[in-house]
Amino acid sequence: MDALRPEIARLFTAKQARRHKLAGLPFHEKVRAVVCLQEMVAPVLRARGRRVRVWKLDDRT
Amino acid sequence: MKRTLQVLNELERDGVVERYAIGGAMGATFYVEPLLTFDLDVFVILPKDAGNLLSLAPLYEALRSRGYTEEGECVLIAGVPVQFLPAYNALLEEALREARETPYEEVSARVVRAEHLIAICLQTSRDKDRERVRILREQAELDMSYLAGVLQRHGLEGKWKPWTP
Repeated sequence: MDALRPEIARLFTAKQARRHKLAGLPFHEKVRAVVCLQEMVAPVLRARGRRVRVWKLDDRT
Repeated sequence: MKRTLQVLNELERDGVVERYAIGGAMGATFYVEPLLTFDLDVFVILPKDAGNLLSLAPLYEALRSRGYTEEGECVLIAGVPVQFLPAYNALLEEALREARETPYEEVSARVVRAEHLIAICLQTSRDKDRERVRILREQAELDMSYLAGVLQRHGLEGKWKPWTP
């Protein structure tokens, strides 16, 4: 496999570091992030005919 | 979500389930980066009825009496679709027994250990399980000697090797 160009390798390293940082968040903050992901993805899935429900967080309406 | 966890704790306190623990993608999310899911998978040990049969019916009935309704294979509890999965083998029983208490804001929740999540993925062996194992290996702080014990006890060592390049 070709070696990655240094700037691309740096981007991948930064991406991995961000994922590790996210892994270290408190559980309730991760749940909040999951709900944000659901909000982003739900319209796409609904457009494909899949029924999905975005979770309700207690401090959000 | 907080209310959902409170309801799970109440079900256990009231003896509707003997024990519960969060598994699946949310269980994994406890140890790794947030993973997209739309269901909260909850493993449960159910009390046996007089005929020694395991049934989800009393659990569903208890939830209905609290005003929570079924939605497909899930029950919608305080805005979160929860899928209850009875412990159907020795690995899941052990995972439930050894699951850990963790705080979620001021509520306590019980989550399956990362090592058991890996073993469950190996046993289930779907494509998404392979990906979940990869993420858990990369990001979770695993107790490798504990994991080796789990894999050995449940005959999963042979599956583990091909999944760990």
